[in-house]
Amino acid sequence: MTDLLQLLVAGISVGAIYALIAMGFTVIFSVSEVINLTQGEFAALAGLIAITATTAGLPLPLALLISVVTVVTVALLVRLILSPVKRMTTLLSIMLTLGLSTALKAAMLLIWGPEGRGLDPFPGNDFVVWGISVRAQYLWIIGVTAAVSVAVAWFYERTLTGKALRACAEQPTAARLVGISVSGAGLLSFGIAGLLGGVAGVLASPVYFSAWDSGLALGLKGFVAATLGGLTSIRGAVAGGVMLGVLESLVAGYIDSGFRDAVAFVVLIVVLVARPGGILRQHSVARV
Amino acid sequence: MGQFRKFGVVATAAILAVAVGACAEDDNGGGGDTGGPIRVGAILDITGAGASLGVPERKTLELLTKKTNEAGGIGNRKIELTIEDNQSTEDGAAKAMNELVSKNVDIIIGASRTGTSLAMRPIAESAKMPMISMAANVKVTDGATWVFKTAQNDAAVLANVVDYAKSKGWKKIGLARDSSAFGEGVAELLNELGKADGISVVVTEKFAPDATEFTAQMLNIRNARADMNLIWGIPPAAALAQKAYKQLGITAPVMQSHGIGNQVFLDTAGTSADGLVAPVGRLVVADQLPASDPQKAVLTKFVADYRAAYNETPSTFAGHAWDAFQLAADAFKAVGTDKQKVRDKLEQVKGFVGITGIYMMTAKDHSGLGKDALVLVTVQNSKWALAPK
Repeated sequence: MTDLLQLLVAGISVGAIYALIAMGFTVIFSVSEVINLTQGEFAALAGLIAITATTAGLPLPLALLISVVTVVTVALLVRLILSPVKRMTTLLSIMLTLGLSTALKAAMLLIWGPEGRGLDPFPGNDFVVWGISVRAQYLWIIGVTAAVSVAVAWFYERTLTGKALRACAEQPTAARLVGISVSGAGLLSFGIAGLLGGVAGVLASPVYFSAWDSGLALGLKGFVAATLGGLTSIRGAVAGGVMLGVLESLVAGYIDSGFRDAVAFVVLIVVLVARPGGILRQHSVARV
Repeated sequence: MGQFRKFGVVATAAILAVAVGACAEDDNGGGGDTGGPIRVGAILDITGAGASLGVPERKTLELLTKKTNEAGGIGNRKIELTIEDNQSTEDGAAKAMNELVSKNVDIIIGASRTGTSLAMRPIAESAKMPMISMAANVKVTDGATWVFKTAQNDAAVLANVVDYAKSKGWKKIGLARDSSAFGEGVAELLNELGKADGISVVVTEKFAPDATEFTAQMLNIRNARADMNLIWGIPPAAALAQKAYKQLGITAPVMQSHGIGNQVFLDTAGTSADGLVAPVGRLVVADQLPASDPQKAVLTKFVADYRAAYNETPSTFAGHAWDAFQLAADAFKAVGTDKQKVRDKLEQVKGFVGITGIYMMTAKDHSGLGKDALVLVTVQNSKWALAPK
């Protein structure tokens, strides 16, 4: 029983990071049908910037702020680079963002070198409860992810701007007719995705490390989690991320730790064949 | 069929042309007294999972090349160093190897890890290219003609682990090992070496060389309740495993491999490393060795040179590169760049005092290091210290 709970704690913590990345995919895809493969790189970049800032002697909150703001700026830049493309299709967006993600990786390799590093853990003491060892950083990850998920869901479902974004997703032409700027909506969605990627990166770095190439695995797992949620549902993305993390942890614990990284891809294939609309499809008729 | 025949003819012609070309070059370089540079190729795991090994190795090779050339080169010939990054992948290593072989460099140093080195070995053997690997697993050189290596064999490390376990009266060992080629065969070797003393592996857990989450593996290790546990990996994974070990409150003593001899390990593991015991090369405790130690002078000089150039302490992996370079340089100095003569010279190395140990090569043993090339070290307050006997 203790083992199961311990594996669940570890799994939910990893899953929360996947959930943040998955939400990043979802907010962009649901507005403009763009699959943004630089999402994982946002997280890697955020971690590396925060490490450099704290090593330079800045206090942790300031370092986190600088890092997240920089990543949001990079995300907006990515959107600006994509904006001259007149007829954006999902396939075209995959190819373009794959190129951008390779360029970002190369830049990170040049700046930070090949070795991976971890950010200092956030304040708090690790503790043991009912024989389960809980790291303070796990609680930070789970807590912040929960807060961010609620905030993003609230933004999309309750605010006027959020509703405007959903309108762009539903009917771009009609949205433009009633005076909503579709390109502005695209820019905003990239900004939110940058924020989500940045938060994921700084939360994950103390436990899961940051390196120039760590965005690839994070991005892939996040994408699988987003697909679990049908790519257009915030709740689905969160559920998908947590499920994937827990499943990985249980497989590693009870079957074989060598299969951990295979889980995501098996899940991806099963979902795409059996439920291409995502596991929560019947609940969400409209996007987001 | 016709097409195949045509292809066969062309391929044969190409192979012949290459062979003739190679012979011609051999004739030119054979005497070792030509004016051209000595061309050293290096294939290292600079990016990817082996980065904490490949980066210091690159730094060392660059430093030694610069120093040798400043001192006038070897026999009035400058050294020309070509470094390739295999991205810690087997196919990357094989590709880089083919490239350097086709450039007909005089020797190849690398790779940093076992898997990548094994990918290069058959190419070195068939091209008759001297190669000095810096990897640990004995399979890299076992039965090889053209391949040598500078890192201590895993068998030498495990012999130290078994000796230590025996001295403490531990019988049951839990093993958490790297799932790549570096960790292959560790459990089997441990069982074989420990058989006489009733020491055996009771559980084996694996982790990917770039893994960051170790809860699952360490839970299974904890449940096995072994007398001691051995973590077999390289940083940062080995350090994260060490952290998870302490976080899950496992109280059994823990040992690590010689794969952890760098600052990255200490920085990443932090206080969780305190108290572990590992058989590691003497480099990390160079300042604590008695003056009578035959390696002391070489070690102290290397630490000083490396510090002066890069303002950081060299790791044991930097030491593997130092040994590989010096072994090659000594051979070139003695016999020039004829590949057959270089190979024969390397096989005759006796008593070369390196960073990793004192080399005694034989036709059968192309590693040349025994279990005395390692000392047991521990970590105290995030610093290396000689382990109390």
